[in-house]
Amino acid sequence: MNLDVLIASAVDGLLIGFVYGVAAMGLTLIFGVMDVINLAHGPLIAIGMFGVYEIFTYVGMNPYLALIIVAVVGLAVGVLVYFVAVHRVIDAPPLSSLLSTFSVNMMIIGVGTAILTTSAYNVDFSLPSLDTGPITVTGTRLAAALIAVGVTALLYAFLYRTRSGKYIRAVANNRQAAELMGIPSTRILALAFGIGTMLAMTAGGLIATILPINILAGGTYELKSFVIVVLGGLGNPLGALVGGLILGLIEGLVPVFMKTTWVPVLEFGLFILILLVMPQGLFGRKES
Amino acid sequence: MALLEVKDLTSGYGELQILWGMNLEVEQGKLTALVGSNGAGKTTLLRAIVGQLFPWQGTVTFDGRDVSKLRPYTKAELGLIMVPEGRQLFTDMTVQENLEMGATPKHSRIHMDRNLAKVFDLFPRLRERAKQTAGTMSGGEQQMLAVARGIMSEPKILIIDELSLGLAPVLTLDLFQALRRLQREEGTTILLVEQNVRMALKVSDYAYVVSEGKVDFHGPSSEVENNPAVREAYLGI
Repeated sequence: MNLDVLIASAVDGLLIGFVYGVAAMGLTLIFGVMDVINLAHGPLIAIGMFGVYEIFTYVGMNPYLALIIVAVVGLAVGVLVYFVAVHRVIDAPPLSSLLSTFSVNMMIIGVGTAILTTSAYNVDFSLPSLDTGPITVTGTRLAAALIAVGVTALLYAFLYRTRSGKYIRAVANNRQAAELMGIPSTRILALAFGIGTMLAMTAGGLIATILPINILAGGTYELKSFVIVVLGGLGNPLGALVGGLILGLIEGLVPVFMKTTWVPVLEFGLFILILLVMPQGLFGRKES
Repeated sequence: MALLEVKDLTSGYGELQILWGMNLEVEQGKLTALVGSNGAGKTTLLRAIVGQLFPWQGTVTFDGRDVSKLRPYTKAELGLIMVPEGRQLFTDMTVQENLEMGATPKHSRIHMDRNLAKVFDLFPRLRERAKQTAGTMSGGEQQMLAVARGIMSEPKILIIDELSLGLAPVLTLDLFQALRRLQREEGTTILLVEQNVRMALKVSDYAYVVSEGKVDFHGPSSEVENNPAVREAYLGI
């Protein structure tokens, strides 16, 4: 066993783990605020991927600048999806919102496949690698991780330092009480869905700068997000980041010891184990 | 003219009618009590007033405006604020954040610092606990916070549902006195819903006695307190 290979694999995995964390934060934020499991999460990630791809390829803009556009558009897309598909079932039994977000999923995948087919695309962009003796870190991977950390910090600053962010937490905590205090809960729910979508699309955009993409690829990351969210505790964004790192680490290290095809087996094995042993997740609170 | 007027109000849940023609007037600047036994429809009436429940018939007029069909957050913006039964705090947020959330209506947001000083003066305990998570406080402290959060909204009328529920008598008395002070010093109109009839009648100016979804009796609190029927039914004398 070569220690250098091990370290290099761990670092690679951790770096992409930050990006997984951002994707999972989008899923967990929406669930935490409105108890909706967003089954359109994967396709929204895919829209983020292709957003960056299209802007970079056809406009020639730097992918990181394109990412800002994708994030802003993501907010708008999320608000739109909320009002079209989620708001009318917000107080209905959980199955309704599962079905309605799944419909959004099917629509995006349908239109996306018609336009883009399911073949792979590649954002032809690279940054100089960082060479530190035994390990070489790909520039785009490092940049993606740093941006992911920045996005997490921004999310926390927003939720804990701004009035709108506190409204989101208040509505998540007790929607009826929030309304009694004059907080327009519908607008706040739409904003939360918008931010969740923004996080999903941003994660997608970051993935596009590292790996090949296709319209169905979002599904893979949606499944990863579910594992991460369960790992980190439902409704806990920081838990999602840590969960993302754990998953990234598994993905980095497992191929050193066994075939890559074992990665999802281990990931979902972990998923079931966590559900059995500590269903509140590593950092989740017990339901009161 | 009354600040809040409820006229021939009927409402309920689904098929179940609870309110059978409620009539109520709350005068500006007064502390009005609404008393009655469990299941008399007090909480349902409040829910219909703040808009958590729609009136089937009748109207709710607030500050000269028909507000029957408005959502709770719009009414809060107009100055109609309820401290709900069971406190309904933002239990995962700090005491300070709960108070900030109280200062949501625009007219109260610009005075947030002044109002913070006011509620800390009224409830010094909350100042000590400002950074604590609301859900970890004792029941009495939580009730203080619920009232303080309501005051932060600079209400024209503050409606309080079951202030004394589950609280020690000493603490209840403290809270009643704080409300009395608020009404005297700030001229805040208060509608108090209470199961503790004796205390409610002592502290209020005017009282309504409700049973079976209707007003049974109303008048100045001292008169209601001396009414033989009320004495027998609610005060056990």
